[in-house]
Formats: sequence, structure tokens, C-alpha cells
Amino acid sequence: MSLLQEEREIILSNEYVDNFDFAEVAEFVTNASKDLFISHHFNRKNKMLVQPRGGFPTYKKQFALNEFFVHANVDVLPLTIDSNTRLNDYATAKKMLRLSEENDVDMLNGYPLVNHGYRTTRKMITHFNKPVSLRHGTPDARLLIETAIASGIFEIEGGPITYLLPYSKNFPLDKAFLYWKYVERVCANYSKLNEPINRESFGPLTATLVPPAITIVIQLLEMLLSLEEGVKSFSVSFSQTGSMNQDIVMGAVIKKLAKFYAEQINCSDAAIHLVYHQWMGAFPTNKDYAEQLINMSTVIASMVGADKIITKTREEASGIPTKEANAKTVANTQYTLGILNGLPNIVDEEEEEMLTLQVKAIMEAVFNDPADTLWRKVFNSIKNGVIDVPFSPHIINHNNMITIRDAKKNIRIIKRGNVPIPDRCYAYEKAQCDLTKDTTSIVNDIIHDIGIMQ
Amino acid sequence: MKVVTGVVGNDIHVVANRLIELSLHARGYEVFNLGVNTYLEEFFDAVVETGADVLMISSLNGEAEGWSREVKLLKSKYKNLDDLIMMIGGNLVVGSANAEDIIPKYKNYGFDIVCHQVDLNTGLDLLETFISDRKANDTNMKDRDIKESTE
Repeated sequence: MSLLQEEREIILSNEYVDNFDFAEVAEFVTNASKDLFISHHFNRKNKMLVQPRGGFPTYKKQFALNEFFVHANVDVLPLTIDSNTRLNDYATAKKMLRLSEENDVDMLNGYPLVNHGYRTTRKMITHFNKPVSLRHGTPDARLLIETAIASGIFEIEGGPITYLLPYSKNFPLDKAFLYWKYVERVCANYSKLNEPINRESFGPLTATLVPPAITIVIQLLEMLLSLEEGVKSFSVSFSQTGSMNQDIVMGAVIKKLAKFYAEQINCSDAAIHLVYHQWMGAFPTNKDYAEQLINMSTVIASMVGADKIITKTREEASGIPTKEANAKTVANTQYTLGILNGLPNIVDEEEEEMLTLQVKAIMEAVFNDPADTLWRKVFNSIKNGVIDVPFSPHIINHNNMITIRDAKKNIRIIKRGNVPIPDRCYAYEKAQCDLTKDTTSIVNDIIHDIGIMQ
Repeated sequence: MKVVTGVVGNDIHVVANRLIELSLHARGYEVFNLGVNTYLEEFFDAVVETGADVLMISSLNGEAEGWSREVKLLKSKYKNLDDLIMMIGGNLVVGSANAEDIIPKYKNYGFDIVCHQVDLNTGLDLLETFISDRKANDTNMKDRDIKESTE
């Protein structure tokens, strides 16, 4: 028995799990409709794909949500997983699912996929015959991904860094790398049967003043970790920064560098896509303003040249959105995309050069770590602060990098910590900001900068 | 002065926590930041370990109310914490309530300074006032002691 198969059996020996029939699952994937594969839609590249977020505990409510989305002309359906499942607490998820079913009140903030099982969920997914994207936040997603693919979900979001550093205080990072390695292998294996399974990294991270260089480095590293296991379709992503120019520069640089680094490991046959998240920071409570913000995000996504956009709703500030509000955003976003024609081509060479230099310097420092495998190099780089994510709650993160917005609202690094930002770039970043202020005023600026859209 | 700070309970909201750390540093405190998702025992252990003068607990999701009920009992199990300045701030209830109702409640739980939805720097100013008042008081007491003993 292969090590992968042995690991698979350990994961499945769990009382909450479906009785897996892997031969049947393989047959299902082999014969599955091409329409279920987002990688297939990406290849046809007619337009930017629109995907909302959303997950309800019961099958019935999830089904109803999907119906609303389909009526709103959705391109990609989401399946957002509840927080108990994300922490592998299937017993609590089961209990809360039963309470939700019996009382018509939602006791979970998402769909408990493992408890529903793949046989049930597959019925819903094949019924709508749209690609589904799995949205979760799970450090150990091995069982979840087995269940998802068996259900017909052929896009898997997440990664060992992007699903850990923003969400957890002390889940061991080295374990997360190994669990995700399993996920990549499973995705790679199923990709051989039909169209490739698409993997997507979660670029927004903490969505709080993360500088473009850090976002891009983490996107590239998760991409490389995935491609080296054999994944053939991968989406890098980022969220609206607050400066249109910075978004456009980031889009240009991440596209160029993703291609460059994929070639470096002889994976240029893999398809790389770009996903743009509508504003992920604090939202205005005024729902009309929220809609304006969402609309602006859509325009920027077009300027960036994203292959897919992930939407927010007018109810973002007030909790989990209703299916009506959620579907409304999808329809509005499709409308905006339809009327956005003749976009200008904006290139800011100086900003692109500065950002490229920063990313390459950090990537080089990661590759120069003496560890033997890429995941260990990345692990060490986070541990020693070569990669530092502002506002990560995780104990391994250094938190020595400080960023603020300049007059044009670009996110700038004013304290680099251990991150090897080249001196020239560091001087450039700081030159854009007013650094004569004392720390108290800088803290007030940061508070203001975080809430700029409110 | 040494300050132990962190976010109580299963609350993972980290932004203000980082800003509190930065601001305390800027005001010259020595900061021991336990970060988010910190339990009461961890706070008191850290106070003992570092010899902190101030314990500054924060809460965003309002869990603090549940945890704070245990503060007095737990603190009484530790020795030599009588002089510790206890401060709490953030959103101190789940849902909404008036500061006039909340502050006496938390004072009763054992906190010296209670900041419900108070701006960060205003809260830190309150701490400074509290510290200087206490110093003045101590000096007065000492003066009186000296006076009494010389009389």
C-alpha cells in the first residue's frame, strides 16, 4: 500500500465519515460534466467569472441559495463550510446541523460537508451543473477535500499559509504544510481523470494593510507548493488594496512572476489564473454605500484583468447575508461587467519595478534557506520573519513589519522587520510617507487607514 | 513600567491588540503581549512571570463579560497581586449596552479601569492618570507615616 493510501485510510477511520467507494468516485470524476470544472470555463475565457460567497447548514437552504444564484446568472457557485468542520469538530457540526434542521434556525455559519456526505451533496451539485468552489479555512482539510471532490466540487480554495496565518493563534504551521501536501496530491491525482481540479490560494490574508510584496510572495509560494505536487490549474488571488493604481500594479506583477516561477520549476504546462476579491476590509454599515463600494471593486477587477471576481454583499457589515442580498450582488456585478467597455491600459513602470524587486528579493531569501524541501524553506522563512504578515494572530508570525497608507492610499512599508526588502525599495516606500509623526499619530493613521471604506 | 496585555477568551480579533502594543511602547511601557485567544490563567501566570505592574485585558466580541466573572476568584489564588493595576477595554458586552451600566459591573468584577468602546488613546490616558494618582496617594501616605513616626 502506498503511503498516500495509508494516510487516506487513517483519515477515513472516523465515525462521521461517509463509507467511501473510491472506485465509484473515480468513475464519477472521469465521466463528470465538463461544466462542473472551473478549469474548463477558464480555458474558454469568454468573460470574467463571477462567484459569490455563501453557505447554509441545511441541504434545503443551500439548495435554495443556489437557485437564487442561478437566477442571478452566477458563473461559479460557492460552498462555504461551517467553522466546526473547519476545525475538524464533526461531532459539534452534526449536533448543530440537526438543531438547524429541526428548528429552522441556522446554528452553523456554513455547510457541514463532511456530515452531509458526498452522496447527498453530489445530487445538488450535479443538479445545478455549475462549477462549485469550496471556501473554508481549514488547516487540516484532508477529509474535507476527499469529500468535496467526490461530491463534484472541482475547485479547492486555501493553502497551508493563507488558511492558517489569518485565522489561527497556535495551530502548528509545519503540520499545516504536511496536511496541505496531501490535499495537493489528491487534487493532482484526480486531475488526471478529466479536466484538472483547480486550486486557489487565498490572497486577502488578514485584509488589513498587507503590503503587495508579502501577498505576492505568499501567493507564489503556495502556487509552487501546489504545482510541485502535480496540480495543473492554479489561481493566485488578492483583494482590493484601497488604491486603484496599486491594484493594477499588483495584478501586472503577480501575473508576470507567477509565470516566471512556474517555469523555474518546469511547470509551465500548468494554467495559472488571477482571482480578485472585492474589498475584504471593514465595510460601511450604510447598505447603499456598500453597493457603491462593491461596484467600484468590479471596475477595478476589470482594470486588473482578473479571470474571476469574488463578490461581497450590501449586508457585509451586519453579518451573514440573506440569499436575496447575495444574489443581488451577483446580478449587479454581471451588469457592471457587461457595460464596462473600452478600458484604458494603465502601466506604472516605476511601481512595477519596485514591487518586482521586493518580491524577487524575498523569494530569493526563501530559496536560500538551507532546508532540503520547499515547504521547510517556507516554514523557516515565516519562523524567522523573512515573511511577516501584518496583523496575523498566529504566534509564529513576527509582527515586526509596519505598514501605513501614503497620500494616494497605497499601502507602504515603513518598518520592514526581518523581511529582506532591498534598501532602494525600502527608501522608496518610506519616501512616499510622512514619517515625521510620532507613534501615537501613526497609530491613529493606521486606525484610519484600516477603516477607509467605512 | 511593565504591562501584560492580550485579548481574552476565544476572541481572535487581532488588529486593536497590535495597536495597543504599539501605543504602549510609544508611551514608554515594557509590553508583554500575549496576543489573541488568551485565557485568564495565562494572563495571571504572565503577570507573575514578568512582575508586571499593569494587566490590560481587551475584548472585541464581548466574551469578556463571561470570563470576567471569574477574575476575583482566580486572582485570589495568586499571591502578591494586590498592587496589580487591572484594566479592561473594548466591547465589553455581546450586543449593546450603556457604559453607565457596564462600568460598575466590571469594577465589581475587580477592574480598576474600565473602558467600554473608548478610543485607544483616551483609554491609555486614563491609565496614566490612574498611575499618577496612585503615586501621589502613596507619597501622601508615606509622608503621613513619616510625620506620624517623627511625632
